[in-house]
Amino acid sequence: MFSKILIANRGEIALRILRACRTMGVGAVVAYSEADRDSLAAQLADEAICIGPADARRSYLYAPAVISAAVVTGCDAIHPGYGFLSEDAGFADVVRAHGLAFIGPSAEVLERFASKEATRRVLEAHGLRTIPGSGMLRDEAHALEEAERIGYPVLIKPSAGGGGKGMRLVKTPQELESTFKICRSEAKAGFGDDSLYMEKYLDESRHLEVQVAVDRFGNAIHMGERDCSVQRRHQKIIEETPSPALTEAARQELCSRAVRAIADAGYENLGTLEFLVDAKGDAYFIEINCRIQVEHPITEMCTGIDMVALQIKIAAGERLGMTQADVVSRGHAIEFRILAEDPGNDFRPQDGQILGYLAPGGPGVRMDTHIYPGYDVPSYYDSLLGKLSVWAPDRATAIARADAALRELLVDGITTNIDLHRAILANEVFIDGKVTTNLLDRVGSAPFVAAGNR
Amino acid sequence: MPQDRQARTERDHKAISDLADDLLPALIARLAASGLGEIEVREGEWKARLRKPAGADDRKVAGRGPVDGRSAHGIPPGRGPAAGTAYVAVEDRERLAREQQQARDLADAPIVATSPAVGVFAPRKDLAIGMRVRAGDRLGTVDVLGVREDVVAPVDGVVGLSLTEAGEAVEYGQELIRIELPENSRGLEVNGADREAAAVLGEA
Repeated sequence: MFSKILIANRGEIALRILRACRTMGVGAVVAYSEADRDSLAAQLADEAICIGPADARRSYLYAPAVISAAVVTGCDAIHPGYGFLSEDAGFADVVRAHGLAFIGPSAEVLERFASKEATRRVLEAHGLRTIPGSGMLRDEAHALEEAERIGYPVLIKPSAGGGGKGMRLVKTPQELESTFKICRSEAKAGFGDDSLYMEKYLDESRHLEVQVAVDRFGNAIHMGERDCSVQRRHQKIIEETPSPALTEAARQELCSRAVRAIADAGYENLGTLEFLVDAKGDAYFIEINCRIQVEHPITEMCTGIDMVALQIKIAAGERLGMTQADVVSRGHAIEFRILAEDPGNDFRPQDGQILGYLAPGGPGVRMDTHIYPGYDVPSYYDSLLGKLSVWAPDRATAIARADAALRELLVDGITTNIDLHRAILANEVFIDGKVTTNLLDRVGSAPFVAAGNR
Repeated sequence: MPQDRQARTERDHKAISDLADDLLPALIARLAASGLGEIEVREGEWKARLRKPAGADDRKVAGRGPVDGRSAHGIPPGRGPAAGTAYVAVEDRERLAREQQQARDLADAPIVATSPAVGVFAPRKDLAIGMRVRAGDRLGTVDVLGVREDVVAPVDGVVGLSLTEAGEAVEYGQELIRIELPENSRGLEVNGADREAAAVLGEA
């Protein structure tokens, strides 16, 4: 096992990793930017080190600063969290070159799964169905040709992207002609790589993902699926497990096929395979996330597995220490992303000081957050203030507990989406478990915002 | 007597030039780094007072800048010498008394060269306390995985106490070396309210 881990991230996930380290008896150093000096992780850590200014490109995204911080503080591993450098094969390689361990898949594995388009081909070869799509698009003419073959509507996606960023829905050839160049330049600006591919757009689909873990010895388990269909502009807002859309047989089928395919493809460490499930219940693989995910707590609540600890163990070369038969998922869990944004004002991100904060409690309630009264929410990073996760033996009770917890949760001084969550919870489509990814965008957020203000 | 007169004039010119070279840049830097609107120091028969033009206090504008006070010890961009206009003013006693404490606090706030990166610190070989440096002069380096980044003096001044040992690990923005006001400003006392001095950079 490692003796000391550098936590190269911020916000709630930095705190989550710190907690895992403490639980495991492993030392931890929190690396923070100047804007995060007062963050909870930096405050609570036994050791914290400032790696650069607020601008992430010069701190959390700047590999030399992160690695240098690990070296000078005597760490033997780096945990990248999610976002930032977490799936950067080049970074993982340089970390190793400095004699440190990267907590995640090896550089080779990250490299192999770096391109979404190539990943789809690999996993297709290992038995997963993928959405009809194109290879890399050479130019506009090629894009038009491919769109014709696949059939409109199509999604144009940056190969290097993630989290729904930089995607464009195109319904006609005219639209394609006018957006293709924009997509290229957006991909170039956003991800430093302008390669694009195209996928058939499934109108009424759900977003499901399967959580897997593979050790270096090829032992693999899945920890069930998560349903992340409540989205706004491709950004997840609410996640739950198990998915209300799957029968037990369909769940077993999807999860076991996913874990078999990814193990056969030589994957390593924690990973999430994302699928779109159409109205008929057919699941199409779309991409893999080679890191811990924001919504991991709901899987932890149902399985009882500390996933960050498991991730660290695998990176340290240890065995999973369990088989699929040992993974038992109980009850139902729902996570709500508490965001500093104003639903009544086009979801504009908010910053400023948290004047008051009160965490909810009660059975099956978990709050992962880095905020506290007096904390200044910096404007430099994403708007995630925290995650409220609720567990109950069944879905209806989980919804009831969630509503009670959301009512208790107090974040004062800054506008949040707490009321929007309550409005979604109260919506029949959600209660019936029939949310599709386009719901919020199709009906618009306005009814929910209005209901939330009542 | 003409000879005495000439000697006095030369002395004055030298004093004025020293003030302009050594004292003013340091004062301007301190004024810029502080939240004060005005600062005054006196030496012998000379008194210098600097005041920011109304509205020039950009602290509030930059209110959501670095959380860390340390990084503000250098001259922040746009707050260099041009940001504060120095001129002569005669002030009422009450205000001077009130500002006396503020100025004293300010004089106590050290100016420090900070680390440009996280790494291992190495001072310049010939660095010694009392050495005169100009703003931007290299005082040492921080080794970031074999790449050296310069530690520079934030203002003109004199090298003071080193706050970090050679070979020590430092974080971004860490205070490394104090920069004192120049030699000839030592012993400067903060404005005494009993004396209304007349001029800065002019004849008394």
